[in-house]
Amino acid sequence: MRYTLKTISALLSYPDAALQSALPELQAAVETEGLLPEDARRALRDFMQEVAEGDLYDLQERYVLLFDRTRSLSLHLFEHVHGESRDRGQAMVDLAALYDRHDLAIGTSELPDFIPLFLEFLSAIPQTEARQHLSETVHILEAIRQRLEKRQSSYASVFSALQSLAQEQPDAEVLKAILSAPDDDPNDLVALDAAWLDEEVKFGPSSDAACDTDGLAAKIRAGRRPAPDMPVQPTLRPVVTHTPSNRA
Amino acid sequence: MSHFLDRLTFFNRVVDEFSNGHGVVTQEDRRWEDGYRKRWQHDKIVRSTHGANCTGSCSWKIYVKGGIVTWETQQTDYPRTRPELPNHEPRGCARGASYSWYLYSGNRVKYPLVRSRLLKLWRDARASRTPVAAWTSIVSDPEKRASYTKKRGHGGFVRATWDEVNEIIAAANAYTVKTHGPDRIAGFSPIPAMSMVSYAAGARYLSLLGGVCLSFYDWYCDLPPASPQTWGEQTDVPESADWYNSGFLILWGSNVPQTRTPDAHFYTEARYRGAKSVVICPDYSEASKFGDMWISVKQGTDAALAMAMGHVILREFHIDRQATYFRDYVRQYTDMPMLVRLVKDNKGKLVPERLVRASDFAGGLGETNNPEWKTVGYDETSGEIVVPSGSVGFRWGEKGKWNLEEKDANGRDTKLLLTLAEARDDLVDVAFPYFGNIEHDHFTGTDHPSVLERRVPVKKVQLADGEALVATVYDLFVANYGIDRGFGGAHVTADYNENVPYTPAWAETITGVPRDQIITVAREFARNAEKTRGRSMVIIGAAMNHWYHMDMNYRGVINMLVMCGCIGQSGGGWSHYVGQEKLRPQSGWTPLAFGLDWGRPPRQQNATSFFYAHTDQWRYETLDVKEILSPTAPPGPWDGAIIDYNVRAERMGWLPSAPQLEQNPLSIAAKAASNGQDVKDYVPQALLSGELKLSCEDPDNPKNWPRNMFVWRSNLLGSSGKGHEYFLKHLLGTSHGVLGKDLGQDGRHKPLEVAWHDDAPEGKLDLLVTLDFRMSTTCVYSDIVLPTATWYEKNDLNTSDMHPFIHPLTAAVDPVWGAKSDWEIYKGIAKAFSEVAPEVLGVEKDVVLTPIMHDTAGEIAQALDVKDWKRGEVALIPGKTMPQITVIERDYPNIYKRFTSLGPLMDKLGNGGKGMAWNTQHEVEFLRHLNGVVTEPGPTKGLARIDTDIDAAEVLLTLAPETNGEVAVKAWASLGDFTGLDHTHLAIPKEDEKIRFRDVVAQPRKIISSPIWSGLESEKVCYNACYTNVHELIPWRTLTGRQQLYQDHLWMRAFGEGFCVYRPPIDTKTVQPVLDRKPNGHTPVVLNFITPHQKWGIHSTYTDNLLMLTLSRGGPIVWISEVDAKKGGIVDNDWIEAFNSNGALVARAVVSQRVKEGMCMMYHAQEKIVNVPGSEQTKQRGGIHNSVTRAVLKPTHMIGGYAQQSYGFNYYGTVGSNRDEFVAVRKMAEIDWLDTPTADQPSALPKIPTAEAAE
Repeated sequence: MRYTLKTISALLSYPDAALQSALPELQAAVETEGLLPEDARRALRDFMQEVAEGDLYDLQERYVLLFDRTRSLSLHLFEHVHGESRDRGQAMVDLAALYDRHDLAIGTSELPDFIPLFLEFLSAIPQTEARQHLSETVHILEAIRQRLEKRQSSYASVFSALQSLAQEQPDAEVLKAILSAPDDDPNDLVALDAAWLDEEVKFGPSSDAACDTDGLAAKIRAGRRPAPDMPVQPTLRPVVTHTPSNRA
Repeated sequence: MSHFLDRLTFFNRVVDEFSNGHGVVTQEDRRWEDGYRKRWQHDKIVRSTHGANCTGSCSWKIYVKGGIVTWETQQTDYPRTRPELPNHEPRGCARGASYSWYLYSGNRVKYPLVRSRLLKLWRDARASRTPVAAWTSIVSDPEKRASYTKKRGHGGFVRATWDEVNEIIAAANAYTVKTHGPDRIAGFSPIPAMSMVSYAAGARYLSLLGGVCLSFYDWYCDLPPASPQTWGEQTDVPESADWYNSGFLILWGSNVPQTRTPDAHFYTEARYRGAKSVVICPDYSEASKFGDMWISVKQGTDAALAMAMGHVILREFHIDRQATYFRDYVRQYTDMPMLVRLVKDNKGKLVPERLVRASDFAGGLGETNNPEWKTVGYDETSGEIVVPSGSVGFRWGEKGKWNLEEKDANGRDTKLLLTLAEARDDLVDVAFPYFGNIEHDHFTGTDHPSVLERRVPVKKVQLADGEALVATVYDLFVANYGIDRGFGGAHVTADYNENVPYTPAWAETITGVPRDQIITVAREFARNAEKTRGRSMVIIGAAMNHWYHMDMNYRGVINMLVMCGCIGQSGGGWSHYVGQEKLRPQSGWTPLAFGLDWGRPPRQQNATSFFYAHTDQWRYETLDVKEILSPTAPPGPWDGAIIDYNVRAERMGWLPSAPQLEQNPLSIAAKAASNGQDVKDYVPQALLSGELKLSCEDPDNPKNWPRNMFVWRSNLLGSSGKGHEYFLKHLLGTSHGVLGKDLGQDGRHKPLEVAWHDDAPEGKLDLLVTLDFRMSTTCVYSDIVLPTATWYEKNDLNTSDMHPFIHPLTAAVDPVWGAKSDWEIYKGIAKAFSEVAPEVLGVEKDVVLTPIMHDTAGEIAQALDVKDWKRGEVALIPGKTMPQITVIERDYPNIYKRFTSLGPLMDKLGNGGKGMAWNTQHEVEFLRHLNGVVTEPGPTKGLARIDTDIDAAEVLLTLAPETNGEVAVKAWASLGDFTGLDHTHLAIPKEDEKIRFRDVVAQPRKIISSPIWSGLESEKVCYNACYTNVHELIPWRTLTGRQQLYQDHLWMRAFGEGFCVYRPPIDTKTVQPVLDRKPNGHTPVVLNFITPHQKWGIHSTYTDNLLMLTLSRGGPIVWISEVDAKKGGIVDNDWIEAFNSNGALVARAVVSQRVKEGMCMMYHAQEKIVNVPGSEQTKQRGGIHNSVTRAVLKPTHMIGGYAQQSYGFNYYGTVGSNRDEFVAVRKMAEIDWLDTPTADQPSALPKIPTAEAAE
């Protein structure tokens, strides 16, 4: 899985001449490892072909527009689950600690949750564990894939390939939560209108409003707070930590 | 078993219940608590703040864990105030607390970005050419140039390395310097106080090149010109803690809880203490809840309200009964006792002319030094005319008599006469202009005549050129308010209920405020001031200052405060909190920022006139000068268009001009030398002969275009671009939404002094470079975007007018991705420039033209009249009748070396500010030890280093009197030479206090009192403006040396603003021409367009923070009243379009009872890049609040060379007012999100044929 992950990491990085010239090598590695199902492999091959033969300026412009400038396609994992909340900082700290436990220190000015960086990490650790970590992000990958597909971007095939490696389906609830965040694509009127609506302020457990993950956690906590005189069931208390190995 | 052994000695058994069942023991899993523990774990806390545009200046704790910023909380360690005064902490608001999001935001600019078309051209050209030759090949080919300039705002960015972008920028700058001149490179950055080193970085680079720094305070219309007019002071205000000392507070057009959130607690506390509070604003704002009384004034008519209150105060505290404190105050501290000459106008009516000067008398009343600049008054005791010390004539050319002691020039005690009522020779009718009868579709007027004659007591005086009638400012001032003093005559009254201009009854018709409210507020305001010796305060805001006739709004209020002796008194005064002028260590910062250690003077330009000319807003001018000219205007050149007045001001040396000449300023010295002439002789002669031409006379000529522009710490094209669509059309040359026609297309009068080109230029700039950390509207339109460090990633300094502390921004983490601090970015550009420059540039002689500057001996230029050399009225005398001329040596190959060391002029010439000067050798020597010296060989070897942002901070802290007690003592001593009084006692106790960068990192430090500012920091008083004028008898830096309530300059009189009068908003005529354009079936409603500051963005810059957007409505909104909504068939949350001939914008409607009928409000700085669909009118993406505005200049702001009305950077000059604007608000029929890519633009989803084929 090593080379396939490393290849995908490279393909999701900013395209440059070095990448273009390394494509035959990458393609060979993917073929040799043979981990991808046939359709994913073919799509990835097409994508590599596109990169190999495309005009570099066009490729770069596309990359900047898609991934540097479109928030909802951000290649930073936690942009999608934590967004602007302060939990994001802690999540990044935890992720960096995970790398540290594998004796890998971040050597660039990138953030720990940058997907190509994360993939390179996975490529450097044992396959079972890599697969497990990859599975934890599958709902984010799927959300980005869907948005790319909506834009008919061939980058969607790269994310399909990743998901096939994870061998796990995203949890529908969580995926829905991520996708409900406004997509800053002007095509998507529904999402924009949703972002526009003033929500009715409701207090307490009956609120069914926000569905981002932070909001959900708060709702869960609120919902489980015992009412006066009610028996307490200790086992029902959720365990809230940010350690990746405990996230499921 | 033994009981003893069974019994536990040291333990109790854990039981399920204890304390009779009140306690219970559970065994639940407690791992969840770790989440909370971790939540508060961190590796370090770093002190920083939010540094470009929010003037709160709150110190924050930034929590860092594992090299990641995790959250921030407010700092609470400000030095304590003193007993009985509430403390400052905590400061900070929800906006600041949401900031850490920006660091890792998806909106962040991560790497240097270049428009791909430009980069491709560059790389192609660079492959075979040297850098400057490569740039030349691009911009000298119109097709190549257009291929990227026309794409501005249309995406297409790719990343580039720092080395590559630096080289492009350096090559462009070098080409521009060589080909067009360094004054074609301009830079815009606002509010240095909030991150002064970052500002200094760019300003230092530009100044070393000879480039132009553009002002912000006037352009933002936050500068209140009334302040320099009255006090000779840019703006100086009480700190917020001083509100607590007040007994009567008026919030006038200021929304303290919403826009001054961290300071608002002082307001609440003042109310607990028993202060009375009145809130004056049209809408039911958040501040209104603070009011014991809320006065809902018709927007834009505040001057009428202030005049009526002044009428009541004069009547009850100065005329019917004379409050001793008020009378003594105005005698000593204002121009009221000064004499004004009355002359007949061309209709034979007497009008107030200029202030009488010593030179008007035979023998100059014994004055030989500057007698033309010494004003006179009657001494009550001797009955003689005396020359009181303190006027500007005493400031320059002699020592020791520039003070406010009640003495004349010979040191004799005086008691100046305020009124000539008793001693009069006659009563005469004097004409005052009245503008309240001007018709306006949306503002009520009255039908009083345009000239109001009122009776005034006068003396006949023998002057050198014959007998003249004179009156005191006091008597004229009272007459102007329509007060009947028993002198008879018309247009005065003793009855508040009579409709005579400026009675409460009159104001009721104009402002809609019931007369009883006006009388009550005025009476209580003055009564409190009388009892407390001036503790009545007016907190005043943008709502007052953003009108075309802002000076009238402000002077109306200032008059009230001065009449009641509130200025310069603790707990009293004028609190203008708009924009941010207070860079407390300013005089230490100026040398660093403007490279004064290497060359003086710098090129500084008032941005309003610059943008008016170079975005071609003047081509669309709708305001005819006749509409604003006074019916009592004295004879003069009152013809032409608004821009003509600006051109006149530029050539007479009143206002700066950039570019300055059609010729490259680097070519002039050589030309003069080849003629065998001195530059100072050659330039005037060549201007006269036409060999040299002023750029301002032909701004559309390619020779006069600005070519390169830097924008940093600012969203110039977004939140700050008045006339946004004109910027797009003319300066940038890209697609735009201008709907109106220019003067040529409309066949209207064209300017007289400015060349007209039928085809207006589109795309004047060769290169626009923006430094930012987020992809703002300005970035989107730039050619190169440089990722800068956020406020948690750099070291810098921060001060505010709201509190007396200096505190830092510090780097909590290194800049992420490819970002760098502003200091490092400009250092890098300087380095690249030094490498590139030798291709075309060496050591060059740059001829710099500067206007006549305030606070210099030159500020007394034309005393009695205005003479224009172009009309042959006077000779060209540099620094007197035309700009000053200086030759500066630029060492272009050594720009980097100069940038990173403290130059020799500090040793040689010393430092100073506001007219004072002191030597700095001791400080320079100290910096050599503190920062180390340059060891590399070359021209800077042995000089103090300025390598890092902290080095730079140490330079400014060491040189500034506010942060170095030793310098403060020197500065006060310097002032003492002027005043003849000893002021050093104010700083001697702090002489050894030297605040350094690490000190402020440890804790915010209170600054040291300095004569650069007019307030004191002490254990006894809070900072309050003009405190030292009143208590240390330091003159105001005005013509009379006093608070100047009568403005006697020819142009002030011509435009009817000698005294404060009510002037209705101007008619911008922008709605009617487009009202019926592209009908969509809905009825447009015409509304006044108001742009206040908001609650849900970080001050005026950032409204793209999702937290804040979520708290508001998630995108641009316009507030309208229920009544107007009904007229237009609009319901809450409808998409509406607001448009006029300037452009169009699209937003959601918020329909609210809060809003007054007839106006709509769109919060400042909502971003065009956030959730905006297309406009039905322009077919462009929706526009921004500035899409419907256009700057309109005012001639009185162009006056120069006249004491307080002399130019200063961010001090005086034209301002970008925008609230007189009206828009048609119409419900939209269809929403178009304009998502189709431009035809020839590479789409975001390229379909590459070969890839298809492979499938």
